[in-house]
Amino acid sequence: MKIIDLLTKIDRRIIYLILFTVVTLPIIFPSAKSVRVMPPVEKLYNAIDNVPEEKALIIDFDYDPQTLPEIEPMAFAILRHAFRKRIKVLALSLYVQPLGLAQNALVNVAEEFNNVAMTREDSIIYGRDYVFLGWQPPPLIPILGMGESIVNVYKNDYYGNRTDTLPLMKEVKNYADVGLLVSLSSGDPPKWWVEYAQNRFGIKVGAGITAVSASEFYPYLQTGQFSGLMVGMKGAAEYEEQVETELNIRVRRKASESLPSLTYAHVVIIIFIVIGNTGYVISRRTKGGRP
Amino acid sequence: MKRNFPLLLVFVFGILGIIPFILPHPMVQNTDEFLRNNLLKILAAFALILGLGSLLRVHFDKIRRKGQNWEYSWVLIGTFVVTSIIGLFGGVSGTGILPTRLGSFAFDIWTIYFNIEVPLGAAMFALLSFFMASAAYRAFRARSTEATLLLASAFVVMLGVLPLGNEISPHLPSFAQWIMDVPNVAGQRGILFGVALGMLATALKIILGIERSWLGGGGE
Repeated sequence: MKIIDLLTKIDRRIIYLILFTVVTLPIIFPSAKSVRVMPPVEKLYNAIDNVPEEKALIIDFDYDPQTLPEIEPMAFAILRHAFRKRIKVLALSLYVQPLGLAQNALVNVAEEFNNVAMTREDSIIYGRDYVFLGWQPPPLIPILGMGESIVNVYKNDYYGNRTDTLPLMKEVKNYADVGLLVSLSSGDPPKWWVEYAQNRFGIKVGAGITAVSASEFYPYLQTGQFSGLMVGMKGAAEYEEQVETELNIRVRRKASESLPSLTYAHVVIIIFIVIGNTGYVISRRTKGGRP
Repeated sequence: MKRNFPLLLVFVFGILGIIPFILPHPMVQNTDEFLRNNLLKILAAFALILGLGSLLRVHFDKIRRKGQNWEYSWVLIGTFVVTSIIGLFGGVSGTGILPTRLGSFAFDIWTIYFNIEVPLGAAMFALLSFFMASAAYRAFRARSTEATLLLASAFVVMLGVLPLGNEISPHLPSFAQWIMDVPNVAGQRGILFGVALGMLATALKIILGIERSWLGGGGE
C-alpha cells in the first residue's frame, strides 16, 4: 500500500518545487538551440516575405502582459523581418491594454536597425517606414472602416500626429494597399479579421496566437483563410530561426532561449502524469478491479 | 412604448448591419460607413461611461452590504480613482496638466502600466503553470479507452511541439502536426458550424423580437 501512496499522493509542494527548479535554471543559464521550422510558421514567413513592395503589412498587437512572454517574441521577429525587407508597417491595437507593449516592440526593433544604420536611407524612420495608429474602439470600427479609408478611421496616430500628413499614409489608403495583416493575439481577434475584413474586402490574414488557444485556429489555416500561423513560444522560436537563417539577423532569441524551460516543464508534467497513472493502475489491480 | 421602442431600434439597426454585406450600392455603403464611424463611436463612449459607472456602483453596494471580501472593493475603488486622476490630468507619459513627477521618478500611466500591471499580469499567469502541473498529476487518469486515447494524443502533441520531440524521432513533430491538422480540425469544424448556426438563430430571434430576455424584467 505504501508504494501506491507514494505514487498517488505526492505533496503538491514537491511538484511546485521541481517545476520551479526546471523552469528557473534554463532562464538563469540561457542557451538558444536551433529548432525545426514547421509548415504553418514557414507559410507565415513566406506570406510576409512576399508582401509586394508597393503594399504594406498591418500588425495588430492584441496581446496583454499575461501572454507577453509567448507573443512578444513573435512581434519582435516579424518586425525584424519586415524592417530588414523594407516592408512598410502599420501597427495598431484593437484593445487599449496592448498599446504599451506595441510601442515597446516598435521602438526597440526600430532602434536595433537605427543603431547600425549608416545613412538616413538605411534607417527605420517613423512616418516613412512605419506608423503606429494606436487604438480605436470598438474593434469593429477599424476592422471594417480600414477597408474604405484608414485615415478616416485613425484621424490621428498614437502620438497625436494627423495621419494624413504622414508620408506612409499617403501611399497606404485602405486594404487595397495592404499585402497582409498579421494579428498577434491572445484571444479572438484573428477570427474577427477573417470574418469581417477578409470576407468583405479580401485582405490576407496571418496570425500569432497562444499555445492554449491553438486548436480552435487550425481550421482557418486548413481552409487557407489564414496565410500562416504561429503558435505559442515554439512558433515564435521557429520564426526567430527563420529570421536568423534566411535574413542573417543575429540578435538575442528570447523565445528560443525560453524553449528549454518549456521543454523541461512539459517533461516534468508528463513524468508526474505517468507516475500518477502507474499508481492508479496498481491500486485498481490490488483492489481486484480492471485497470 | 417602453418595450416596443428598444425592440424597434434593434430591428432597424440589426437589418442595417446585415444589408451592407449583401448590397454594394454606394448609398447603402455610405450609410453603413456613417453609422460605424460616427454613431458607433458615440455609443461606445456612452457604453464606457455606463460600464465604469456600473462597476463603481457594484463595488459601493458590496461595501455597503459588507458582502464577501468587501475590503477588496476599496482596493479597486482606490486604484480606479488614482489611475483615473493620473491618466486624465497627468497624461499618458507625464505630459498633462498635473505634475505627476517626484524628482526623477515619474508616476504617469506608463509607470503604472510597466511597473504594476505588466508584472502583476505576468505573475498571475505564471502561477497557472504550477496549478496545471498539480492538477494534471491528480486528475489526468487513463480511466477508460477514450481517456487513454486522450492521454496518448496529449503526450504526442506535448512532445511533438517541443524540440525534444524532434530529437526523439523526426516523425514525432509531423505526427503531432497531423493530430492538430486532421482530428483536431474535424472536431473544431463541427463545433464551429454548431456555434455559427446557434449565433445565426439567436441573432435572428433578437432582431425579430422573439428573444426579449436582453430587455430585462424576466421576459415579462
